[in-house]
Amino acid sequence: MTYVGTDLPRIDADDKLRGATRYVGDLKPHGLLHARLVLAMEAHATIDRVLKDDALAVPGVVAVLTAEDLPTAFEGPMRQFEPLARGEIVFAGQPVAIVLAETEAAAEDGVEAVVVETTALPVVLDLEAAIEPGSPAARVRQVGGVMEGGAAMHVEAGSDGGDEAVPAAAGPVSANAVGPHQQGQGDVAAALAGCDAVVRGTFRTSWVSQIYMEPQGALAIPEVNGGVTIHSATQGAFYVRGMVSKLYGLEVDKVRVVAEPLGGAFGGKFNLIDPIVTGAALAVGRPVRLQLTRSEDFAAGMPASACVLELELGGTRAEGLVALRSRILLDQGAFGDWAVDGGVAVMIGGPYGWQAWESTSFGVVTNRFNTGAYRGPGGPQVVFALEQLVDELAQELGVDPLELRRQSAAAEGDTVFDGTPWPAVAAREVIERTQLHPLWAKRGSLPANEGIGVAAGVWMGARFPSAATCRVDQDGGITVVTGAVDMSGTNTSFAAIAADTFGVPLSQVRVSYADTATAPHSPPSGGSGVTYSVGQSIRLAAQDAKDQLLDFASGQMDVAVTDLEVVDGMVRPVGSPDRGLSVGHFAAQVTGFVAVAPPLEGRGRFAPGNPSPSVACHIAHVRVDPDTGEVTTLDYAVIQDVGKALNPALVRGQLQGGAVQSIGWALYEELQHDENGQLLSGSFMQYAVPRADLVPNVQIDFIEVPSAVGPFGAKGIAEAAVMAGTGAIANAVAAATGARVRELPMTAPRVWRALNAK
Amino acid sequence: MIPAEFAYRRATSVEDAIAALADPDAKVIAGGHSLVPMMKLRLARPALLVDIAGLPLGGISDGADEVVIGALTSHADIARATVLSAGPLAAAAECAASVGDAQVRNAGTIGGSVAHGDPASDAPAALLALDARVRVLSAAGQRDVPATEFFKGPFWTALGEQELVTAVVLPKPAGQAGSAYASVEDPASGYPLAGAAALVVVEGGRVVSARIGVTGVSGTPFRATAAEAAAVSGASVGDAAREDIAGQDVFGDSRFDEEYRRHIAAIVIGRAVERAVARAQGGAK
Repeated sequence: MTYVGTDLPRIDADDKLRGATRYVGDLKPHGLLHARLVLAMEAHATIDRVLKDDALAVPGVVAVLTAEDLPTAFEGPMRQFEPLARGEIVFAGQPVAIVLAETEAAAEDGVEAVVVETTALPVVLDLEAAIEPGSPAARVRQVGGVMEGGAAMHVEAGSDGGDEAVPAAAGPVSANAVGPHQQGQGDVAAALAGCDAVVRGTFRTSWVSQIYMEPQGALAIPEVNGGVTIHSATQGAFYVRGMVSKLYGLEVDKVRVVAEPLGGAFGGKFNLIDPIVTGAALAVGRPVRLQLTRSEDFAAGMPASACVLELELGGTRAEGLVALRSRILLDQGAFGDWAVDGGVAVMIGGPYGWQAWESTSFGVVTNRFNTGAYRGPGGPQVVFALEQLVDELAQELGVDPLELRRQSAAAEGDTVFDGTPWPAVAAREVIERTQLHPLWAKRGSLPANEGIGVAAGVWMGARFPSAATCRVDQDGGITVVTGAVDMSGTNTSFAAIAADTFGVPLSQVRVSYADTATAPHSPPSGGSGVTYSVGQSIRLAAQDAKDQLLDFASGQMDVAVTDLEVVDGMVRPVGSPDRGLSVGHFAAQVTGFVAVAPPLEGRGRFAPGNPSPSVACHIAHVRVDPDTGEVTTLDYAVIQDVGKALNPALVRGQLQGGAVQSIGWALYEELQHDENGQLLSGSFMQYAVPRADLVPNVQIDFIEVPSAVGPFGAKGIAEAAVMAGTGAIANAVAAATGARVRELPMTAPRVWRALNAK
Repeated sequence: MIPAEFAYRRATSVEDAIAALADPDAKVIAGGHSLVPMMKLRLARPALLVDIAGLPLGGISDGADEVVIGALTSHADIARATVLSAGPLAAAAECAASVGDAQVRNAGTIGGSVAHGDPASDAPAALLALDARVRVLSAAGQRDVPATEFFKGPFWTALGEQELVTAVVLPKPAGQAGSAYASVEDPASGYPLAGAAALVVVEGGRVVSARIGVTGVSGTPFRATAAEAAAVSGASVGDAAREDIAGQDVFGDSRFDEEYRRHIAAIVIGRAVERAVARAQGGAK
């Protein structure tokens, strides 16, 4: 192995740095129509009429389409199946109509001229009130069918624990409630009663946007066979193909999806606008491209859910964490396509082994957005609540907060809240490493108004099936083919895996993205599951191709297969490097007009059996301005088990990015609505993100406890990296001030009020 | 986020620019960092953009009695001008340094910022405290408008339709003077939630005069006269500042409510005065 485990520059970096990468917004097919959306002004209303005439009179405007104009063939209770509002507006910003024009400016002018006449309906926003019996419905029009795909990709919630197991959650709820989802084990009341200390609290979090650099974009080109080719900034080409073909009643082969280079996604780019442009292109018979602006992306996107979490937990000095009771409300918004309302009832246990728990969660349908996936869905929210209370419990017990966590760390065979056994997990190793970190050691010797806090998080990881191929080219290079989207540098890792497995220099490995017409089956990029699964398929494909090569070379060289090796692009007898022949020497013989043997083409297929959870601790050092409540992050450290760092440079980048997004969750990011459901923070003027000048240096310290499943021992790392920051910063604020902030983000006014209330 | 259509013209001279402003739908553009966002939101729809960026209106000149900052001087250049930062006019440099981010400071200009009249911007605080004058030019000639009379309300200034801001003039304070700017920023926009600049003159260790400008808090930048008096009399500046704020119609929204903004406005006034006094007395820079 020469490449795996070493720092390699991303193979797409050069194009991106030079501005040469072509994104969806750069594609201009012949006959292109530009699209802009008419977004709902109201949060909840019946659509009486959509007046199109003035818009159609705008020079350059070709069509104004509403839901009735799209050739849909399927209805289901997901936003993906209702690309434009059908009769009822369920959130402000919901696409109601699409204007198609010869230029983008004309389309925008057309949007301004469309009149949507509506009748207001009650707006449902408050989570507690929304699930009370008698609450108005956030969605009056009920669509039958089941949710599919979606959240299961990120969180395998398992089966609900059974309503009878946890009577505490009983009680009537309104039709806005989704659930209860209940998990439980043991007698929680008795366990809490036997604890040395019990702490409790109620925590609130806000809606948070993914803030990818490239807003959503998609281009649909109608094909003569009645189908469509979709060029999309998407994380999952096969996913889009499946959902769009179902919506428009097309056979899957009629929908060809080409995933274009992604300008970031973080979970937010799963078939949001692809159904709209597809329907429009099919309706008018011309290519249609929609590139959202940032404002539209804020208004019509699918951010991460707000939660209300009530928690009670108890422990003993002898055993650490013992029992937990929780009730979580997760705002699904108007559609719960990606809601993890069931998953949070499982995730609330954190990376710990508990004796007894009683965990209930509800999804709540409201008139805000629809829930999207965002890196580690549910994670930052549950960490914020759980990890603050773990610190408070440690204080009550008079024990060191990290020691309490170490004592309670989940181990293989412990029970996850959904009743399944913990797979191998390095929670203890990560916490012990954190105990030794120099930043943690500084906590006792800080100036006034400064504090250091710690928190832990875990991500179980997706287990997608995948396939890949590896072709030996006539020049002796190899081409690996995948339909997985490179969201975070995965192609660079695939190249390293293939180079090491096959035995060729990295420069002779080509990673080829193929669309849904030709690619081996590939999972979406998400759930920390791509490298974990596709990486292994790539390894198997390269190994298969190499086996074929050696089999062919063995006959040609008259050397037993077991005595041959491939090193640096040369096939050579073990021990006789000077007798080597190049891979190209053999490849040329099987790729000409006449060949003595079939071409060399390896195939790899993989279905991960077990997940390999990644655990991360974050340490935050903050200063709190006691006069203004402003929190400054002075220093930050990430300690995470990554299994095996295939490309340490990329791993460090992933963990640093996760830390920065954590800081955003903790201190800055918040999508707010007014009492009428109007979005108040729909631009960067109101929506704060952690800018470069607000983020400290992030110290990265990863450890490698190999996975038995992932390629070369690698684990999925992306999502564990974002979870712990909310808890670490909250605990740091508490250490600095003695005040607990129980609402995210911990903005200056909230911290100031917490200080005043102290 | 898609602006309406507009025509564009590059002004060849100051006179040419003023002549172009005869078109009532024309708008001057310099750095574009205030105007372009409004055009993209379609809150501004000028039919004609008159680009003055190439005109010789930049640069800072250090005179005997005053410092003249050309309208096209970028915030970045003001921030690093030692003629300001090293002397009693430091508040101007400090204020410029806290505008937006590096990109905004490099492209945005003092003239554009002042002409735009955004009540939430940093600059008015320093201009009020430093007793600045805004120099404007029209076909009728040149006039200087005191900062106290220039800012009329949100996006409303004393600038006439066919007038062009050409410079900002800062008189050099007499005596042992120091100034400072303090603010609490909105982490989203970088705009001050409250910003205060103070200029003080000390004699024999006592403050003998003080001017305090406050921005970001209400629709019009204002002078904190009670706090000014307190700084001289030796009363509590913080208490007096709260009195100044009490008389204002203070902004408040769901993220930064009115109560919080009143509180931090008094805090930044106190901080600006404290630092200005320290500088005047030759303490902290």
